[in-house]
Amino acid sequence: MIPRHFQITIALVLLAVLISGVVIIRMTHKEEALTLQAAEAAPVAPVVGGKQEHIQVLLAYDEDRVLRWRPADVFLPADRGLRARETLRYVLAQYLQTPSPHPLGKGSDIKDVYFISDDTMIVDTTAPFADGHPSGILLEEMTLTSLIETLTANVPGIAKVKFLVDGKERETLAGHADLMSFYQTAAVHELAKEFE
Amino acid sequence: MAIAGAVPGQQLTVYTAKASYSLPVFDRGGKPYIAVADLLSPLGASPPHLKGKDWRLELDKAEARFTEGKDKASIRGQQADLSGKALVEDGRVMVPMAAALPLLSRLLNTAVDFHQPSRRIFVGNDFTHFTAEFKDGDAPSLVLNFSQPLKRLDSNHEEDRGALLFTHTNKTTLTFRKDPLVSDTNQQQFGNGAIQALTFTEENGTASITITGNRPLLISRSEDGKTITLQVQAPAATAASEPTQLSAPASPEGQRHAPEFFVMIDPSHGGNDKGASFGGKLVEKDITLRLARELRKELEERGIATRLLRDSDIDLSLERRAEITNEQHAGLYVALHAGRPGRGVRVYASFLTDPQQPVASRFMPWESAQSGALGRSQIAARAVSDELRKKGLTVANLAMPVRPLNNLTAPAIAVELTPETDDPQSPENLKRQSTVAAAVAAAIAQVRGQLGGRP
Repeated sequence: MIPRHFQITIALVLLAVLISGVVIIRMTHKEEALTLQAAEAAPVAPVVGGKQEHIQVLLAYDEDRVLRWRPADVFLPADRGLRARETLRYVLAQYLQTPSPHPLGKGSDIKDVYFISDDTMIVDTTAPFADGHPSGILLEEMTLTSLIETLTANVPGIAKVKFLVDGKERETLAGHADLMSFYQTAAVHELAKEFE
Repeated sequence: MAIAGAVPGQQLTVYTAKASYSLPVFDRGGKPYIAVADLLSPLGASPPHLKGKDWRLELDKAEARFTEGKDKASIRGQQADLSGKALVEDGRVMVPMAAALPLLSRLLNTAVDFHQPSRRIFVGNDFTHFTAEFKDGDAPSLVLNFSQPLKRLDSNHEEDRGALLFTHTNKTTLTFRKDPLVSDTNQQQFGNGAIQALTFTEENGTASITITGNRPLLISRSEDGKTITLQVQAPAATAASEPTQLSAPASPEGQRHAPEFFVMIDPSHGGNDKGASFGGKLVEKDITLRLARELRKELEERGIATRLLRDSDIDLSLERRAEITNEQHAGLYVALHAGRPGRGVRVYASFLTDPQQPVASRFMPWESAQSGALGRSQIAARAVSDELRKKGLTVANLAMPVRPLNNLTAPAIAVELTPETDDPQSPENLKRQSTVAAAVAAAIAQVRGQLGGRP
């Protein structure tokens, strides 16, 4: 005959094992979902149609409030439009990493890039790029300057750039930085000096 | 960056078909100097940048090169005499004021007329002439007809009474800061009565018409802005006599054109637009409104009129903020922001994203409406930065395309402070806001004369 107190102890141990199992299974599922979400939010891997190139990208560092040139190895197609898109996506991918030097909202990406003339480019971004962008004059200007400077450094012949959000014009990025204007790349080059 | 040695109140005014703007004049060894960026940026020139030993800038694809310590510059590949050595101070290229003539004429490839003693430069043949027609009788009047519409009218001792201007002295001075007004005759006599003489003078970047007589005059402007009528004020008939109204329309909000200098304070964000969040309940829209009220108090204590674009938690688009400010002819626009990262205060002037945008007519493109006031905006930004530093704050003076600065025709700046803590009511935050408001107001009071207001 098993003593009553021993029976109660065994029952409690079994119950604890059962509860622990359920908690572990739920945590595992949650982690998988988060990983999947993060993968979906991150820009898609570059088109593997080009060759790997060693380029320079201008990245924002919030902590120091500066922009710094960094080397990068990126697969870039020969086509100017695709090359521009993949260059910009590479910059956004750096900001979406954890930890990030300049955090952006999940889902920030470049939807499309197209030329309206030989030297004038439209960059169409996803809605989360603007909706999830931290609000603040400096933070917003750092994002735009980083993108435009990286673009002009790696895709020759671009004189003007304008940003759209999900195919539409938007007045500002997140309440401050001008998105209505065409940015003259030569002028932005001067603007970048503010962040040296 | 501040440049020391500006001669208080001294300015050079440039008139072009695109814009009229004034820039400060500095004293360097007893010689008047100007900053090249102040002269050429409003016309769309790139800021001078150092390449090798030369400072270079471009305007409409024409290049100018300066070398520190040299009295010659290269403009469009040809040597030009600067009438003195080029100086470089805090990364800004300074040249003698006389060099403005070769710089503008060669870079723009057009005729330039420089009235050097009065510091007025006319680019192209875009002059405004006037004639004076005196009518004697029971109520003598003087009608001034101008060859093109006037941009703005300032007179001495006027007050705004439902769009009519009244003077209270026997000497009336009309000051033209934005109009390329010239005259072949400097003095005209009309007799010994209520209106006796007219004198035209030019000095310190402005033109003035002074009318002397023995009675106060009532001034009115025609709707097309090309005629100014000065009439003797008949005391009993003042309210009934209705000369034509000023040309500026009243704003939809019901406020009329203000001839006096006033500061338009813009507490950024509001309503559903909270702006930046700082953790807890602290959001940008609340900080900016509190700071705006502090700034209003500080300015009014210094005798400077103010208007707030919002005084409650309401939605107001950036475009509408710019429209209201332009319609009401503010003397200065100050946008207030709060943001991270960093500490201290950041002061922004406009940065024209597309400075070479073509101007098809006399109308200024919306996206570069600021170009005519950029030099004065930079003066205001530098003064505010200097004053904040005096209060011991960490300050950055920057040029950024912050909406809606580029859409404003008045001098415009944005001031962004970073909260000390996440508690909006913390003593540190409240103290910081008061300090910033006092410093901004003190700076505006100092440079008011250079912005178009009376010092």
